Amino acid sequence: MMKRVYLDYSATTPLRPEAARAMAHYLDDEFGNPSSVHSYGRDARLAVEEARRQTLAALGAGDGRLVYTGSGSEADCLAVIGFARRHPGGCVIRSSIEHKAVIESTKVLASGGYDVRVAPVKADGTVDLERLVGLLPDDGRPTLVSVMWANNETGVIQPLKALAELCRDRGATFHSDAVQALGKIPLEVDAVGVDLVAFSAHKLGGPKGVGALYVSGAVELEPIVYGGGQESGLRSGTENVAGIVGFAAAVAASISELEPETERLSALRDRLSVGLHKTLPGIVVNGGDALQRLPNVLNISVPNIDLEGVLTALDLEGICVSSGSACSTGSVEPSHVIAAMGREGELASNAIRLSLGWGTRAEDIEYALEVFPKVVQRVREFSGH
Amino acid sequence: MSGGVDSSLAAAMLVERGYDVVGATIKTFCYADVPGSSKTCCGLEGIADARAVAQKLGIPHYVFDLEDEFTHDVIDDFVTEYAAGRTPNPCVLCNSYTKFSDLLRRARMLGCERIATGHYARCVRSGLGTQLMRATDRAKDQTYFLWGIDRDVLERLELPVGELGKSEVRRRARQLGLATADKPESFDICFVPDGDYAGFLATRLDGEHPAFRPGPILTVDGDEVGQHDGYCRYTIGQRKRLPGGFTAPMYVVRIEPGTRSVIIGPSSALDSTEITLAGMNWLGDPPAAGDEVGVQIRHRGQVVTGTIDELDGERALIRLHVAHRAVTPGQSAAIYAGETLLGGGVIGTGFSI
Repeated sequence: MMKRVYLDYSATTPLRPEAARAMAHYLDDEFGNPSSVHSYGRDARLAVEEARRQTLAALGAGDGRLVYTGSGSEADCLAVIGFARRHPGGCVIRSSIEHKAVIESTKVLASGGYDVRVAPVKADGTVDLERLVGLLPDDGRPTLVSVMWANNETGVIQPLKALAELCRDRGATFHSDAVQALGKIPLEVDAVGVDLVAFSAHKLGGPKGVGALYVSGAVELEPIVYGGGQESGLRSGTENVAGIVGFAAAVAASISELEPETERLSALRDRLSVGLHKTLPGIVVNGGDALQRLPNVLNISVPNIDLEGVLTALDLEGICVSSGSACSTGSVEPSHVIAAMGREGELASNAIRLSLGWGTRAEDIEYALEVFPKVVQRVREFSGH
Repeated sequence: MSGGVDSSLAAAMLVERGYDVVGATIKTFCYADVPGSSKTCCGLEGIADARAVAQKLGIPHYVFDLEDEFTHDVIDDFVTEYAAGRTPNPCVLCNSYTKFSDLLRRARMLGCERIATGHYARCVRSGLGTQLMRATDRAKDQTYFLWGIDRDVLERLELPVGELGKSEVRRRARQLGLATADKPESFDICFVPDGDYAGFLATRLDGEHPAFRPGPILTVDGDEVGQHDGYCRYTIGQRKRLPGGFTAPMYVVRIEPGTRSVIIGPSSALDSTEITLAGMNWLGDPPAAGDEVGVQIRHRGQVVTGTIDELDGERALIRLHVAHRAVTPGQSAAIYAGETLLGGGVIGTGFSI
């Protein structure tokens, strides 16, 4: 069997054993529907509510609701579309580097005539606060500002506190997609003062198919999925009990090791960055200061390469990384995030994301450092660059 | 791996022979923009089928995005050729560039030494180098489409199904449990799945382009007998969309884009004993003036013997011993010596060298 090195934790992660253990029970004996009145239902209900309580506490969120969804994307859509439906004639402002879930849902709103505005980011990948202020409507209309906590491609952490303060001052509702940030940096949702926060379980060792939207006390949303009125009426559909329990276990596990892992992963990431700079002159790191980025993400632009060639050749050598975004056919498309940061031409289209996680070892990084330049050289030889 | 049965089996045969095989599907076009594209063998469905076969064979599979290259090399030519009153053959260009040269370049990036496809043709290696020969199953032979491939590619090319018949291919594919064993064949041009070339051209050319504007229909004697609604809707040998009332059936024999004229004539006016070719490509050492060769001007068409009259690096004039019918500018002539494909060129409009 070929050696495989997984450096794509931002795409998804393996299931943490803690999550697997917690879930097993609810996939087997305790299969109840939390809405049922009988004992199976009650046990399932208890599990969901205990998971919710634990997770809210771990997020530093006391005063709001946690609405479980089927994915992080669904949580984003519920925040954006749910807000707009509740507030006809309002305004949604998003940053230019949001996840597709936010971008596409605001496009749907805009095509229906809703006022949608886009705030640019600076070269370091953080949202331009001055420009954002200029976009806020001054007629007192209900407004949602959506800026992600940390970017999924570059790992750049946004100035959440400043954004939350700005929104509070101007009476806007603040939504943040924290799918990548959860489990990588401390969140403290209440202390920061965010109104809506989207999460996903599988980015931090939970199962796929579970997400959640934190909704602070005062915020009102319309649901986007209708039915039995589960999740305080905001997300109908029988709860994914095992998934929710696994999500809670994964959150607990990643938060309990947050400090040592931050230190370990940022050291590995920096080793990777330094090593690649040595063997591949001309590469640039996307996203400013390392301290302003998630500890586990390194996004580099490599000049003079055929990106698709490099990604596939790396895969054949067992190194699993990714580029901006993969389209449905599996081919590679240039990244809107890197382009929004002002990178042009080749540097915008040749971005590669390497993302680490709890399973990443020093020898994995050494293997990547050995293979990466060989592959780049070979691809350059045959691509006419 | 297009997702079709031929390339699926080609991959399986190479795995059986012990090669370290990597599956690749070429994405040539944005299928989302093409209505009815699910019918073509290289659409999204094709990618999914190819992936399923690769999984069955236990080999990795990738999509090679060659959209930019394909647009530049194949589609742009398709459009300019029709605009110039010729009838292009995009499948030849796709083979000349995309499916072989571009594929090989990608393959080398991945560290692969050779490429293979599911074409019905044979690579025969000897002390003289590699020759491209007709498939054993003559009815399936696809060498006509391959005259334009780069001779350097031949040295690194494997065509495993070229020695099998189609029924044998299907039988073996079923035996191997390949999902695509009974998939129907596709014949359309992949980027015009509905066959509406004029409609496709309208998306790429200015609506005021002469190719779409009305013009006269003239007989070979110069009599105007009607009007047409754009010469891009006509090709040599066509009978449809022509005025009636003649004693003998009439065919398009020539298109003159300068005056937007479509010239028609009786069947006999379609015969030519002379072919001028441009953009010559040779898969081995070129033949010399005076050599006798076989000339084929359409896929599955008959081969007519001819003598090379004049030849330079780019062009050739061939005198045919028997007339070929409807020699169509823009189409290809593949040139053979017996079963061996020597090369070919694009049919021109009677220039002199």
